[in-house]
Amino acid sequence: MEFPLKEISGSKENTKKIADEFAKLLKPGDVVCLNGDLGSGKTFFVKAVCVNFGINEVNSPTFAIVNEYFGKKKIYHFDFYRLKNEEELMEIGFYEYLNDTEAITFIEWSDKFPDILPQHRFDVNIKTKNENSREIEIIRL
Amino acid sequence: MNVLGIESSCDETSIAVISNGELKANLISSQDFHAEYGGVIPELSSRAHLQIILPLLKKALKESGISLNQIDLVTATAGPGLIGALLVGLSFAKGLAYSLNVPFVPVNHIEGHIFSGFLMKEKPEFPYLCLVVSGGHTLLLLVKNDSEIIKLGSTIDDAVGEAFDKVAKMLGFEYPGGPLIQRYAEKGNPDSIKFPIAKLKNKYDFSFSGLKTAVLRYVESVKKETGELNEETKCNIAASFQKAIIEALLIKTKLALVEFDVKSISLVGGVAANKPLRESITQLGNAFDKKVVIPDLSYCGDNAAMIAYRGMRLHQLGYKFSFDVTAYARMPERFFKSYENSL
Repeated sequence: MEFPLKEISGSKENTKKIADEFAKLLKPGDVVCLNGDLGSGKTFFVKAVCVNFGINEVNSPTFAIVNEYFGKKKIYHFDFYRLKNEEELMEIGFYEYLNDTEAITFIEWSDKFPDILPQHRFDVNIKTKNENSREIEIIRL
Repeated sequence: MNVLGIESSCDETSIAVISNGELKANLISSQDFHAEYGGVIPELSSRAHLQIILPLLKKALKESGISLNQIDLVTATAGPGLIGALLVGLSFAKGLAYSLNVPFVPVNHIEGHIFSGFLMKEKPEFPYLCLVVSGGHTLLLLVKNDSEIIKLGSTIDDAVGEAFDKVAKMLGFEYPGGPLIQRYAEKGNPDSIKFPIAKLKNKYDFSFSGLKTAVLRYVESVKKETGELNEETKCNIAASFQKAIIEALLIKTKLALVEFDVKSISLVGGVAANKPLRESITQLGNAFDKKVVIPDLSYCGDNAAMIAYRGMRLHQLGYKFSFDVTAYARMPERFFKSYENSL
């Protein structure tokens, strides 16, 4: 997989394949930011990546703000959807999570607070083309 | 026995007092805490819990007519939830129990919901089917007795409450939008739009992500044609969406009622406040001749009454806990028995 990657995925199966390839490159300490409209498949993508680490219980962290999973890798799965300001992020210990170099961190709706994201990270941007088709862009920063 | 319950797993801080089996106070920050105590506080923060907890405790004791040194047992939510938020309530409770020299019981938040039906005059009878529906959880459980809970199914993506809130957002409502969906649905035609109900590998699992996306596609197509959503369309979308959600929940619950011989059925969690859902579950239970227990609205959302009740019950059952217990973010693995392993 080479970055930046830009691919049209015509099906969930195809998206899973992209996620499988991407999972191979991830190592502890990495931060993956996911952006895309409601229903574009951000949680689906995280789920598809995490299957590669033996984690099958990924679900949406919208309400919980952060989910933690433990498989072959330790995963923190954030969702900024419900957050109103950066102060709330500090309050829930976001920076402590981010400092854990043993974990891979996923952040959905990261573009709500672009200033607090680490410099080095992956951006996964998902655009809805139609019901089944998505444009997936992965950038390494 | 006087029991103090403390809940701080997410947005709400809540304190409850149970005295000799009777609930004397159940204060919830969003309703019972006012600016007079400390001005404007960010909604989602550990600091908010920290600022609210002591004045709320004082108010709860005053309302109950019980003084702090009359408390015999302190209980608090240990997880799952936001660690920072949980730690405030849990540490506060431990400190309090230690200083009063009384036992301390940590309670699992979901377990609190599962047994919240026991706060009602008419209580569930074992074994009972429990449908847990909230912003973060959707679970179908077989509660065999006080300590044996079998998980039949759960959501594989979004929780019911989350689906409500996200559809509400699509319709232009503010968070939390669940109650507004219900209000709009009352004026809409539930059969006007056919939204999908997910079919899944495990027959008791739920999925609401596809439904959410289907509503989004519909909203987008209407906007493309007419520019924006008029009130009538919003009402119809709300009604049709709510119907699809309730149907999905009913189908699985009905399947379980056919397969398992239970005495009662209980609907719990924040979304249990939804009126048409309460009515549908009641009808279903009645059709199967089961006792239906749905907690009052004040015990549906996050509240300390259910924590105090469950903590008291665990204490009565002889469970002992040390002060070493720490807060946990995720539901512990194997907290429930799995369906496959229990048959």
